[in-house]
Amino acid sequence: MPDKVRFIIERQDGPNEKPYTQEFDVDYRPGLNVVAALMEIQKNPVTVDGKKVAPVTWECNCLEKVCGACMMVINGKARQACCALVDEIKQPIHLAPARTFPVIRDLLIDRSVMFESLKKIQGWVELDGSWDVKDAPIQNPYTAQTAYEISHCMTCGCCLEACPNVGPQSDFIGPAPTVQAYLFNLHPLGKFDAPKRLNALMEKGGITSCGNSQNCVEVCPKSIKLTTYLAQLNRDVNKQALRNMFNF
Amino acid sequence: MAKDMSKKKIAIVGGGISGLLATIKVCELGGEVDLFSYCPVKRSHSLCAQGGINACMDTKGEHDSIYEHFDDTVYGGDFLADQIAVKGMVEAAPKLIKMFDRMGVPFTRTPEGVLDLRNFGGQKHKRTCFAGSTTGQQILYALDEQVRRWEVKGSVNKYEFWEFIKIIKNKEGICRGLVAQNMNTMEIRAFTADTVILATGGPGQVFGRCTASTICNGSAVSAVYQQGAEIANPEFIQIHPTAIPGSDKNRLMSEACRGEGGRVWVYKDGKPWYFLEEMYPAYGNLVPRDVASRAIYKVCVHMGLGINGENRVYLDLSHIDSGYLERKLGGILEMYSEFVGQDPRKVPMEIFPSVHYSMGGIWVDRVHNTNIPGLMASGECDYQYHGANRLGANSLLSAAYSGTVSGPEAMKWAKTGNKGSDLTDAELEAARREVQNEYDKILTMNGSENAHKLHHEMGDLMYKYVAIERDNNGLDTCLVELKKLLKRWNDIGITDHSTVANQEAMFVRQLRNMILYAMAITKGARMRDESRGAHAKIVLENGKQKHDKDGELVFMGRDDEHFMKVTIVNYDPKTEEPVISYRDFDHSLIKPRARNYAVAKKE
Amino acid sequence: MHTTFYLRRLHSLCGLLVLGFFIIEHMITNSVAMAGPEIFNQVMGMVEEIPKPVFYAIEIGMYAIPILFHGIYGIYIALQAKNNPERFGYIRNWNFTLQRWTAWYLVVFLIWHVGYLRIYIKGITGTPMSFELLQNMFQNPIVTILYVLGMWAAIFHFCNGITTFCMTWGITKGPRSQNVISAISMMMCAGLCVLTVAFMASYFVY
Repeated sequence: MPDKVRFIIERQDGPNEKPYTQEFDVDYRPGLNVVAALMEIQKNPVTVDGKKVAPVTWECNCLEKVCGACMMVINGKARQACCALVDEIKQPIHLAPARTFPVIRDLLIDRSVMFESLKKIQGWVELDGSWDVKDAPIQNPYTAQTAYEISHCMTCGCCLEACPNVGPQSDFIGPAPTVQAYLFNLHPLGKFDAPKRLNALMEKGGITSCGNSQNCVEVCPKSIKLTTYLAQLNRDVNKQALRNMFNF
Repeated sequence: MAKDMSKKKIAIVGGGISGLLATIKVCELGGEVDLFSYCPVKRSHSLCAQGGINACMDTKGEHDSIYEHFDDTVYGGDFLADQIAVKGMVEAAPKLIKMFDRMGVPFTRTPEGVLDLRNFGGQKHKRTCFAGSTTGQQILYALDEQVRRWEVKGSVNKYEFWEFIKIIKNKEGICRGLVAQNMNTMEIRAFTADTVILATGGPGQVFGRCTASTICNGSAVSAVYQQGAEIANPEFIQIHPTAIPGSDKNRLMSEACRGEGGRVWVYKDGKPWYFLEEMYPAYGNLVPRDVASRAIYKVCVHMGLGINGENRVYLDLSHIDSGYLERKLGGILEMYSEFVGQDPRKVPMEIFPSVHYSMGGIWVDRVHNTNIPGLMASGECDYQYHGANRLGANSLLSAAYSGTVSGPEAMKWAKTGNKGSDLTDAELEAARREVQNEYDKILTMNGSENAHKLHHEMGDLMYKYVAIERDNNGLDTCLVELKKLLKRWNDIGITDHSTVANQEAMFVRQLRNMILYAMAITKGARMRDESRGAHAKIVLENGKQKHDKDGELVFMGRDDEHFMKVTIVNYDPKTEEPVISYRDFDHSLIKPRARNYAVAKKE
Repeated sequence: MHTTFYLRRLHSLCGLLVLGFFIIEHMITNSVAMAGPEIFNQVMGMVEEIPKPVFYAIEIGMYAIPILFHGIYGIYIALQAKNNPERFGYIRNWNFTLQRWTAWYLVVFLIWHVGYLRIYIKGITGTPMSFELLQNMFQNPIVTILYVLGMWAAIFHFCNGITTFCMTWGITKGPRSQNVISAISMMMCAGLCVLTVAFMASYFVY
């Protein structure tokens, strides 16, 4: 094992600045991951040419692969940086921001569009209120298991970065928010508003913009069966379209 | 902006479970919320809670009762929790669970489709509702969704990627607003509010590496502490015995590993030594968290038997059938493989205790008002409910419950409280100016220290002196060292002068707050001459740690006569030091008794 | 309401039914070439015997309009994609990209093919289609290659389209059913591609 790990980082000083690359060496240690390496660079922000520079900017919170914050492009692939072990990826390691989203600075990106999309699909159960009502309805444990799987989505944006149909050139809201609609349609109370969500998915930029490249399911860090649920939703919106047409 | 000016405006800082529930409550009462967060609220640290949430559902035929939950919580907290407050929480718990169920939290279910319950440490009954091993994530998401619904209705303005800097008080000393900074554009702005609720979580980062997220730095708590808010019981820091040590963070390895038969060992004289089984033959590997932590610490630090001389011991599951492991612990083991790169089904895991949770925090009354009128605190950043030690799966409960209390109370204060005079534009601008000046000053710092290295040093200090074992010598030393760090803070050099997302400058500001909070923790520990819950203090004899005739360290006992009191820490602006006093609290419902997990609990 | 949705669904339906028919029809008539010039010309003659109003109705209603719609709206769809197989080299993503690359080729190819053979030769000069005419055209090896590529592109576009059609309409849901359909359609793709080579060869054999 070499005692240094080389990082080639695509940087950008501001939203409208030009990208450039800088290279850093980080001391190797077992179990080193990309976030830990970026933290080392923070402590000593000096490039391989010995130039003292501003530390690299990126976003991270939990470092346990549940918060979704540290998604970036590592050696070309969109993934969480906290669980990208240096031992398991090719060196030198290339880091770049996920340019499907607007870049704020360096590896820091603006993913607010994903949260806006969750508004569009009405991703919530219409509750009368947070007060005590009565017992919640019983749920089929198998359905609940499916819901649990989809509910792991941490809005990291890997699937949007990988999806060829998401980006500035398109208005597709992307796999993650689309599939969230299915989560709420599964819930015994949430399903009351399923037609609303399906109609929302039929809007421009909704599920019809999916081109079945199926990259989403390959890159999802939570292994959510996105394409299966997209197909299910396709089935559901078709039925909804018939209902709309013939007023069933 | 055609906004209804008669609407009450509540500023809520922090978008974890507590902050979000408070937000929902305020909206339901017709108020408007400005919600501030370091990150999109969906990425808040609440999502790291794995095990579950306690509530007496009594659906397992075990005759569980709310009183039993109440007693377990008080007993687990070594009788330092306000019993009236705890009682309110455990009584509300089952209702909260039903509400979460209606909101769509995908709880794990029995074959009949009702909520399943699991066992958890320190409780005899199955009482923990759970959603696989990501209960916190699921609850946080459900609340995030509900808040989004209110956002669409126009009741919530989210200020995500905004850092809370300080509160603004009016002439009468009543909190009427806050100053915050946009973390991307660096814009500093003053906001008015009828009530401010802090729900900013724990201070884990004060210890450097811990099981908390990088955003859990306690900076906001420290900021209001410097503005006159009292901190209570800061010395009570829960240490989790089994975490995966990492240079970036210590990742929690659930207690379930030991529950499913995991054995803890190190090499001694070339042979595996199952020290927990030898030291505690009755409970073996299943001793409570604090006991396990102290034993592991002893083996590594005092006996020098850690793996390769490092502070690590083995947590071994490799003797257990891998199919069984997959069924019971699948998700957790995958996490280990993912972050360590080794398969725990084949090789023993390497673990070490880690700072996990702060029982202490901002002092609040039972409805979550701080000592500053108009300022409230809610969630892990307050000190309520857990006393000297928190029971597993009570953290999600206290986070949720406190939000349901603080939200309505904030509205009550906004409507009927004696709020004094409104903030004038000049006052708002003055507050903004002050923060702007402080920030501009940070940008010009050109000393020789690196803030991140100082942070690392502080973490090392805190782990050395204020973690598992404490003694007054060490605590004194630590206070001296922390003061030196505070001085060295002035000599920080900034490398980043950017006006976009300048994380370094923000971190420098947070670091100062963290050092001051560290001093409060340390001073609180120094003054509490007893052992209680998570706070274990070694007896000194002639200035040295006392050992008994078997060479074992002697710890102080619990001293109800002197220390059955809440530690109150006030900030002295002149010396920048914490000032300690003690306050009585309500423990009228359950009579204190010795806490001893070696025998079954007796009421 | 939901215009995009209905347009996309119509686009999908056009692709499968009309283009499918167009391709199958071409495959069948051209396969006749393998039987030799006489039979091929006989079949071409039969086509000529279809009454003109019916023939034009079929040509415009079932070919021209749907294909123009599929092509023009398809261009709009293709422009919304940033193909990335070099970064995400999964089979389905390659197919996604090929679907768009073949589409671009087909746009150009069909303009040439229809413009030259149908509009210029048959429409303007009034020359009927015959084995000899095509044989003559394929004397130029570049034309032959472009034609084979055009046929292959159309076949792939159609066969892969079957797979994605089944996804888009929610017919195949899970990965297994999707893979089965994908395998069948790709086998069909291979078979039709071979068939293309076979009937193209017949212009050089006779």
